[in-house]
Amino acid sequence: MQKYWSIFKISFEQEFAYRLNFILWRVRNVFQILLTYFLWSTVFSNPQTEIFGYDRTKILTYVFGIMIVRALVLSARAMDVSSDIAQGDLSNYLLKPLSYFKYWFTRDISSKALNLIFAAIEFAVLFVILKPPFFLQTNAVALLAFFVTIILAVLIYFFLLFLISSIPFWAPELGWSSHFLVTVVIIEALSGSLFPINILPGLLQSIALALPFPYLIYFPVEVYLGNITGTALIGGLMIAVAWTGVLWIALNFVWQKGLKVYQAIGR
Amino acid sequence: MTKRFKKYFKIWWMMSRNSFSVVLGQRLALSFFLVGKILRFIFFFGFLYFLLLGNSTLAGYTSNQIIFFFLTFNLIDVITQFLFREVYNFRPMIINGDFDLVLVKPLNALFRVLMGGADIIDLITIPPLIILTIYYGALLHPAFYQTMLFLVLLVNGFLIATAFHIIVLSFAIVTLEVDHTTMIYRDLTSLGRLPVDIYKEPLKAFLTYLIPVGIMMTLPAKAAMGLVAPMGILVAFLVGAIALIVAFRFWNYALTKYSSASS
Amino acid sequence: MDRAVIVDNLVKNFEITEKEPGLSGAFKSLLSPKKKTVHAIRGISFSVQPGELVGFIGPNGAGKTTTLKTLSGLLYPTSGFVEVLDYDPWERRPEFLKQISLVMGQKNQLWWDLPAIETFELNKAIYEIPGREYEANLKELVELLEVEKFLNTPVRKLSLGQRMRMELTAALLYKPKVLFLDEPTIGLDLVAQQKMRDFIYDYNRRYGATVLLTSHNMDDLVDLARRVIVIDEGKILFDGALEELVTKFAKEKIIKATLSKEDGIANLETIGKVKRLAFPEVVLSVPRSATAVAAAELLQNFPVEDLTIEEIPIEDVIRKVFKGGLRK
Repeated sequence: MQKYWSIFKISFEQEFAYRLNFILWRVRNVFQILLTYFLWSTVFSNPQTEIFGYDRTKILTYVFGIMIVRALVLSARAMDVSSDIAQGDLSNYLLKPLSYFKYWFTRDISSKALNLIFAAIEFAVLFVILKPPFFLQTNAVALLAFFVTIILAVLIYFFLLFLISSIPFWAPELGWSSHFLVTVVIIEALSGSLFPINILPGLLQSIALALPFPYLIYFPVEVYLGNITGTALIGGLMIAVAWTGVLWIALNFVWQKGLKVYQAIGR
Repeated sequence: MTKRFKKYFKIWWMMSRNSFSVVLGQRLALSFFLVGKILRFIFFFGFLYFLLLGNSTLAGYTSNQIIFFFLTFNLIDVITQFLFREVYNFRPMIINGDFDLVLVKPLNALFRVLMGGADIIDLITIPPLIILTIYYGALLHPAFYQTMLFLVLLVNGFLIATAFHIIVLSFAIVTLEVDHTTMIYRDLTSLGRLPVDIYKEPLKAFLTYLIPVGIMMTLPAKAAMGLVAPMGILVAFLVGAIALIVAFRFWNYALTKYSSASS
Repeated sequence: MDRAVIVDNLVKNFEITEKEPGLSGAFKSLLSPKKKTVHAIRGISFSVQPGELVGFIGPNGAGKTTTLKTLSGLLYPTSGFVEVLDYDPWERRPEFLKQISLVMGQKNQLWWDLPAIETFELNKAIYEIPGREYEANLKELVELLEVEKFLNTPVRKLSLGQRMRMELTAALLYKPKVLFLDEPTIGLDLVAQQKMRDFIYDYNRRYGATVLLTSHNMDDLVDLARRVIVIDEGKILFDGALEELVTKFAKEKIIKATLSKEDGIANLETIGKVKRLAFPEVVLSVPRSATAVAAAELLQNFPVEDLTIEEIPIEDVIRKVFKGGLRK
C-alpha cells in the first residue's frame, strides 16, 4: 500500500513539474466548458424554450455538472500506456514487483485528485461570474446512485483507455492515432460532453445508450439531476455494470495476448 | 525577389513531398486520423443540423447560416492544419537539439519550422470542404461584392492564424514548459465554430479584439451575409496587420533568448 | 581576411529556473519560481587562422559547446565580440551560413524515415549548389566516406557509424570554409572513431578548411589537433600546441606495474609516489624527467612481470592546472 501512496505523490508532483503547462491544461478545460455553456445559453435564450425535456435551468445545470464529472472521470494518465508499449518502456515495469494495472490506476486517481481541486475552483469562479441557475440535489437515493455511477464511469474509462493503449502491442505506430480516433473524437461526441444524449432522435439514442460512452458523463450527470430514476436508473446501471464487466474481461484477454507478443519481440 | 520566392517554393515542395512519403509509409495510422477527422466534422455538423431542424434560429441566425459559420471555421482551420502541421513537431525539435541544425542553414528558420511538414491527410479533406462551403454559401445568395469580401476576409483570417502559429512557436523557444500552447490556440479558435455573437460580454469582446477569433472566422461569414459595416472591415485588416507584426517581432526576440539543448 | 575566427572577451550567461523537491516544492514552484544565472562563458578571447585545425578540450559543462554554438550564430552573446569569416554570426546571413557547417555527434539533420539521398537533394536546394558541383562533391564525399551502398537506405536503418558518415556528407556537400564539429566521435566504436579522425585530418589538409572541434576524448586531440585550447568553467586555461600542454602542466608521468611477488613492497616508495597498491597491481607517479631512471630501477630491483608508462589523464591535468594556477 505504501508504494502506491508514493506513486500517487510522485504522479501528483510530476503534473506540477511543468507548471505553466498544467495551468494551460486547466485553461483549456475552461474554454471547452465555455463553448458548451454559451451554446446552450443561447439556444435557450428565450426563457420559455423547452427542447427535448430541458429548460434553461436544467441544461445549464447539466453543463456545470459536466465540469465536475469530467474532472472526476476523464482526467487520466492511462493514455500514456500506449507509448510505454510502443517504445519498450513497459519492460521496466514488468521487472518491478508492481501490478502494472494498479500502477496506472493510482496515477489516474492522482490526476483526478489534482484536476478535481482545480475544477472545483473553476466551478466556483465561473459560478460567480455566470450565475447560472443551478440545481442542488438533496435526495439521498439520487446522491448514492450518483456516487455509484461515478465509480462505474471511472472504471469504464480506465478499461477503455487501457484497451486502446494495447493496440501498440501489435502495431507500435498506431499509438496516438487510435487514441485520437476513439478517446478524442468518439468519446467527445458520445459521452455527453457536448450535448445530453437524450436530445438524439429515438433510434440513434437507443444505439448510443447501448454503447459504454454515455455512461462516462451523460449518465452520472443525469442521475445527479434526478432526471433518471426508477426502472430507467436500474436499467442504466445494469448496462454500465455490464460494460464494466465486458471491458474488464476483454482487457485481461487482450493484455495476456499482447504481453506474449511483446515478450516475443523483446523490445 | 522572385528568385528567392522560387527557391523557397521549391524547397517547400520538396519538404512537403518528403513528409508525404513519410506519412504514406504508415497507411493504417493515416486512415485512423482521416476517419477521426471526418467523424469529428460529421458529429458536430450533425449536431447543429438536428439542433436547428425545423426552422429554429440561434442568436437570430437560420440553420443554413449557422452551418455556414461552422464551415468557414473549418476552412481556415483545415488550411492552417495542412500548411502548419510541422508546428506540432517543434517542441521535440528543441528538446533534442535538432533545432540547432535548422538555425545553422541558409534557410529562414521560421519558414522551416512553420511549413516544413505539410499534412497530406488534409489534401483529402480540403476539396470536399470547399465544395460544401460553396454549396451552403450559394444558399445564402450573396451579391458579388459580398463574395469577394468573404474571400478577402478569409485570407485575412488565415493571416491572423499564421501570426498565432508564429507566436506559439516563439513561446516554445522562450519557455520549454509550454506543451499546450498550440492546443490552447485550437481550443480558442474552436470557440469560433459558432458565431461569436452567442458569447456574452466580456468574453465576446475578448474573442473579437484580443484573441481575434471573431475577426478570423465570424467576420468573413458575416460579410458573405452582408452583415458587416466598412468600419468592421477596416478593423479586421488592422488587427491582421498588427498580429503579423507582433508575431514576427516576438519570433526575433525569442531567438535571442534561445539557449539550446545541453551537449 | 587574415583571420577566420576572432573572439574577444566573449561572455555568455543562461537563466534557469530551479525546482525544489517534494509536494510543497511543487506547489511553491507554481507560485514563485526561483531563477538562477549560469555563467557558461566568462570572458574568452582567441583567434584562428584560415586552415587551422583547433581542438577545444575540457570537462563536461566547461563551455566548449556553448562557444561553438555562439560562433555558428545559434546563441546570442551576453557581451563581447565575435567574428567568423568577417561576418557577425548572430546575423545569420545566408552568405555566411553557406560557408560554415556545424556537425554535432549523434544529432541529425537527416530526415529519419527517408534515404539520406533525399536530405542531400534538399540541401542542394537550400545551399543553392549548382548541379555539376553538387554531383562532383557528392561523388567525392561518398567515395571518401565509403557510403555508396547506403545512399538509398532509410536513415533509421543505418548504424550510428554509417549515420555519422551520412551526416558528414550532408554537412560538406557545399564545401564549407569553416567546420564546427561538436563531439564528432561520441558513441562510436574505436574503429569508427579512428576513421572519423582520419577523415577530418584529411579534409583539413586537402581543402584548407578551418576546423574547430570539441571533445572530451583525449585520443581525438592527440591525433588531430596541433593547437589545443583548454576550457574549464567558462575560461581558457591554455592556448597552444598540445605537446606544450602536457609538458607544461603534467610534471609527472604514471608507471603501472604488475608484480609477481610481494617481497619488498614497502620499498616501492623509493622509486616514486605510490598512488595505488593492490597486489599484484601498483601505480606510481614519478617526475617526468626521472621516468626512464625510475622505470629502470623498478625493473632491476623488483619482481616486475609487466610495466607500462603513461601520461597523466588530460582531465587530471586540467583539474590540476585549475587548482594550481598557471604559475607552475
